Amino acid sequence: MLSLLRGKREPIHDFPGGIHPPENKARSTAAPIRPGPLPHELVLPLNMHVGAPARPVVALDETVLKGQLIAESQGRISAPVHAPTSGRITAIEDRPVQHPSGMTATCIVLEPDGREAWAELEYRPDWAATDPAALLEQVRHSGLAGLGGAGFPTAVKADPGEDTRIEQLIINAAECEPYITADDRLMRERSPGIIRGIRMLAHLLRPDEILVGIEDNKPEAIQALRSAAEGTDIEIRVVPTRYPSGGEKQLIQLLTGKEVPAGDLPARVGVICQNVATAYGIYRYLEHGEPLLSRITTVTGDAVSHPGNYEVLVGTPVKDLLACAGLDADRLGKLVTGGPMMGFTLPEPAAPVVKTSTCLIASTPEELPEPPPEQPCIRCGACAEVCPANLLPQQLYWYAKNDEFERAQQHNLMDCIECGACAYVCPSHIPLVQYYQYAKGEIRNQEAETAKADRARQRFEARQERIERQKAEKEARRRERREAQRRKQEAAPSGDDGTRSDAAVQASATSAGGGSAASGGSDGSGSGNGDDESRADERARRMKQLKVTYNKANKQWKQAQAAFNKAQRDGADNLDQLSANVDKLRTRADEARAELDALVQEAKTDVEAATGRDLKTLKKEATDAELAARRKAKEVQAAREAGATEQAQSLEREHEQLRQDADDKAAWLKRVMEEQGMKEDE
Amino acid sequence: MSEIDYGRITRDGLWSNNPATVQILGLCPLLAVTGTVVNGMGLGLATLGVLTASNLLVSLIRNTITETVRLPVFVMIIAALVTLTEMIMQAYTFELYQILGIFIPLIVTNCTILGRAESFAARNPVLPALVDGFMMGTGFLVVLVLLGGMRELIGQGTLFADMDLLFGPVAADWQIKVVENYRGFLFAVLPPGAFIGLGLIIAGKNLIDGRIEAARQRHRAPVEQGTKRVRTTGKVG
Amino acid sequence: MSLILGPAPHTMQQGDTGAFMRQVVYATGPGLAVLTWIFGWGTLINVLWAVIVAVAVEALVLTMRGRDVRFFLSDWSVVVTGLLLGLSLPPTSPWWLTLVGVAFAVIVAKHLYGGLGMNPFNPAMVGYALLLVSFPVAMTAWIAPFDVPTFSESVALFLGQASPDAFSGATPLDTFRTWAGDAQALAGHDILHGRIAGRGWEWVNAAFLLGGLYLLARRIINWHIPAGFLAGLALPALAFWLVDDVRYADPLFHLFGGGTMLGAFFIATDPVSAATSNQGRLIYGALIGVLIWVIRSFGGYPDAVAFAVLLMNLAAPTLDYYTRPRTYGHDKPDRGIG
Repeated sequence: MLSLLRGKREPIHDFPGGIHPPENKARSTAAPIRPGPLPHELVLPLNMHVGAPARPVVALDETVLKGQLIAESQGRISAPVHAPTSGRITAIEDRPVQHPSGMTATCIVLEPDGREAWAELEYRPDWAATDPAALLEQVRHSGLAGLGGAGFPTAVKADPGEDTRIEQLIINAAECEPYITADDRLMRERSPGIIRGIRMLAHLLRPDEILVGIEDNKPEAIQALRSAAEGTDIEIRVVPTRYPSGGEKQLIQLLTGKEVPAGDLPARVGVICQNVATAYGIYRYLEHGEPLLSRITTVTGDAVSHPGNYEVLVGTPVKDLLACAGLDADRLGKLVTGGPMMGFTLPEPAAPVVKTSTCLIASTPEELPEPPPEQPCIRCGACAEVCPANLLPQQLYWYAKNDEFERAQQHNLMDCIECGACAYVCPSHIPLVQYYQYAKGEIRNQEAETAKADRARQRFEARQERIERQKAEKEARRRERREAQRRKQEAAPSGDDGTRSDAAVQASATSAGGGSAASGGSDGSGSGNGDDESRADERARRMKQLKVTYNKANKQWKQAQAAFNKAQRDGADNLDQLSANVDKLRTRADEARAELDALVQEAKTDVEAATGRDLKTLKKEATDAELAARRKAKEVQAAREAGATEQAQSLEREHEQLRQDADDKAAWLKRVMEEQGMKEDE
Repeated sequence: MSEIDYGRITRDGLWSNNPATVQILGLCPLLAVTGTVVNGMGLGLATLGVLTASNLLVSLIRNTITETVRLPVFVMIIAALVTLTEMIMQAYTFELYQILGIFIPLIVTNCTILGRAESFAARNPVLPALVDGFMMGTGFLVVLVLLGGMRELIGQGTLFADMDLLFGPVAADWQIKVVENYRGFLFAVLPPGAFIGLGLIIAGKNLIDGRIEAARQRHRAPVEQGTKRVRTTGKVG
Repeated sequence: MSLILGPAPHTMQQGDTGAFMRQVVYATGPGLAVLTWIFGWGTLINVLWAVIVAVAVEALVLTMRGRDVRFFLSDWSVVVTGLLLGLSLPPTSPWWLTLVGVAFAVIVAKHLYGGLGMNPFNPAMVGYALLLVSFPVAMTAWIAPFDVPTFSESVALFLGQASPDAFSGATPLDTFRTWAGDAQALAGHDILHGRIAGRGWEWVNAAFLLGGLYLLARRIINWHIPAGFLAGLALPALAFWLVDDVRYADPLFHLFGGGTMLGAFFIATDPVSAATSNQGRLIYGALIGVLIWVIRSFGGYPDAVAFAVLLMNLAAPTLDYYTRPRTYGHDKPDRGIG
């Protein structure tokens, strides 16, 4: 009723299910955002985002400045890493990262020098006048990657493609997970920056509507945003507090009533969703030139004495941050990164805070106790009632448990967002999400295997086809040439020069004693009327013949030499004759060799002419590509063994690309060499 | 099949390939008539007779009949034998014949009989076929009697009631009243009881098999440990 | 420091299966009290004995299966099974009747299928059906309402030292079935004319309805099954009663007679053997209701909750298969071979 009086206001839609876990937010919202510690070392993993890991561009012992690029993005879906402060690179090595299994990954280790010396930054205060495409390119270098916890490179997400019209830009400020208050505090304290960041995003995306979705348990933040958004076309929409309203799909449904089609991106329905902290990050980058160097992380839980929000340098080891917040190590039970619903437990407090670290919960064993033992499922259906995706978790559990993955897929297991609402309400304390993750992993593995086999087959078939085609082409050319020659002969049956080259070739091929004929035939290769291909073909034939000639002559020469030596020892009298023979044969071999070398050189020149690169470069490129593919294969293997399925999959995809690249290059090299009449062994 | 192992045929028929508990054949009469021991035994004996005789006859003519007509011939032989049995029962155990009713002629359709004719008697000499028929029939009979006994005991609280129907007046006092004043447990006598009873018998057999296998494994285990054998698979026993 | 590790979510709602089941136990309180008030101590004795037998048999089977007895007993499910079967039995039941029913329910209907969560049929109703087909006389020996035997008489009945014949009287459902179509006879039977429905039974059903509403309020059960159940029973009853009120009993008589409310709120709602989607539950309940009305009106047994529930237990997987909700992001529910 009240909303009616307030005039036009879009209705808030609904999503099915959802739960109301205890919020536990109050204790960390009391204090304003505090700066995090400056630790002895910063550990910067190369893959703090979703996608390909960044590639280091700094050397060991190099001194870097704050904000300097230290690892560049690799491929389209990737994000660069910048030095969060000035200091010295002390190591580029494997370190434990935030992962449930305590996995290690390649990290750049930076020892801060405390000077906080800034690198030269590139400002973009004129962003409003900049072409969106150029601006987007700029954002690619910001290092921003889904600060809400998903870690998807922001620039990729803000680039839905030319022909996608964006109807709604949604800023996710719901922050629905218990404990986490990082976005709440950010909005209370830095709303103007956020609003500017949102406008920059809007400039990139040109949406019809800009909606900010925020849960009604953050009145101060709502107030701050509202006043900052005054006079803009940004609408602040308050949604009821219910987990998981901050899930991307759920928030889209709440604000627009739209559903993202299964297996598709929100852009498909004209929606782009960005986290509120990401919007702030864009503002910092474009107006102040600051790439993503720090983030606001909630540190809370009963085991810390100063819970609150800290502006932490990316790469700060968790233990330093906890110490800064007053950790009582004796009381620490579970150390959870992310929220209590979807976060995971850390086995290792040495792991660094990364771009996606929204929250650290240092809980006492009483606060987040170990779950009671799993009881049998009684199919009570409580899980189905709270499922925001409208799945039947009890059926999925059954199928996952019995490894019936096909059925699980038919029950849309892949649409599960792993929000954990089902496991939260399960009276039998079944860790349902774990079962789903297991089943999903198995399904993905199976799919990857199938895809790999398919691709291998396709490659093989393509290769077969290519070989066949080339054979056919060659054959056709040969036939054509023979035809042309025959016609020529017919036209001038008495003429001698028409058959000259042919005769010369025959002579060199058949006669071992035709040394002079071999050298005389070298100009015969020019008979292809300047046609490159036939010239190359001719050359190939010549080279083969020359090789035979050379081998034969060489062998004969060696035999003659041996005979001469023997004769010399025996004191025979025809030494002179033998010596002459040796010399003659040697000359013949040398001549053949010289001509062969000349032909190879000529072929190489032709290769360069045809491809713009010399053969050496081509070979090197092929070898490099091959090595890169093999290295990636090893990384995939390592990730698999470490149990990092997600990462292994993305690596696997990269590997596929590299493999393809290597194969292509090798094939090209081969083709070029064949075309220029060279065999592999040259 | 060069060497005939009678021990094996016997074991197959009575235990390891028992028509009722392993092949689960002939369920219709098995479940329908096993309300009491005497019913089960009556039908079991009739089936035993038919099965033995059919195996004998089929084996005798196995080289004379062609592939194409073998099934009709088998069925006719079995039908003739069943008719014969029916007449004998009509003559000597009329009351039992009336109780068993349709299930006597239905022996023709008992898959065990045709199955043995097809899979054993038609490929083996007379003597083994005869032994096989007898052993399979006995295996079937034992299960019928066992199930009949279970259901009679639980359903009526007696054992061997009305045995005179089968064995004449001599057997009139064979009945054992296991529980005096038993109220009767209708469920066991009704068809569901037969299903559950057969299920329990099969479970019992599997249990015994499992125990035997476990005992064998235990027996074998110490020998394996001492020897230097290269392990070729992931698990030992 | 050694950190505790575990899967997400790291926080969970209070309560467990045991608490869930205990709520069901509490909710039967009013019904049990009214049954005892109207039919005497027999029901209370039945229930106590049934629960004791159920727990003992469960413990025995768990031991034989090599399971942790204390852990699995803590889910209280077997108490509910024993309780529901005890409530369904006539107050004149001797000890062995309960023993056979409960033992069969726990051993065959529950554990032979793999224990809690794996049984396709409602164990209590399997036990009830077994007893009904095996001992039809003992299972229909109800006492005339308010004609309460003394405590010692009840104990004698329980111990099998007294014959129930001396106390038993037909239930309203039974009476109606016998005299259906004879308007005069129907008018002459007092038991058919209570305040709402059949005498005595109306209060039993009202009490179970109260307990059922408690379960609904505590969100232990959903409204779908009971609503479907009661509607499925009342609507055909109403239609046929309007056509011929001498041959067919009125809807209230059906709703407040026999085991209707116990069945609707406590038995049909057993989650393990029921349909799981909300739409499926509605259909599941409705079909149970219809089946009850059909069997009561045309079948050979006066009441039909057990048979109707067991029949629909068989249909539950099919219902689940055809009533899957539409998943987020999908145009329509996928109903492949699932």
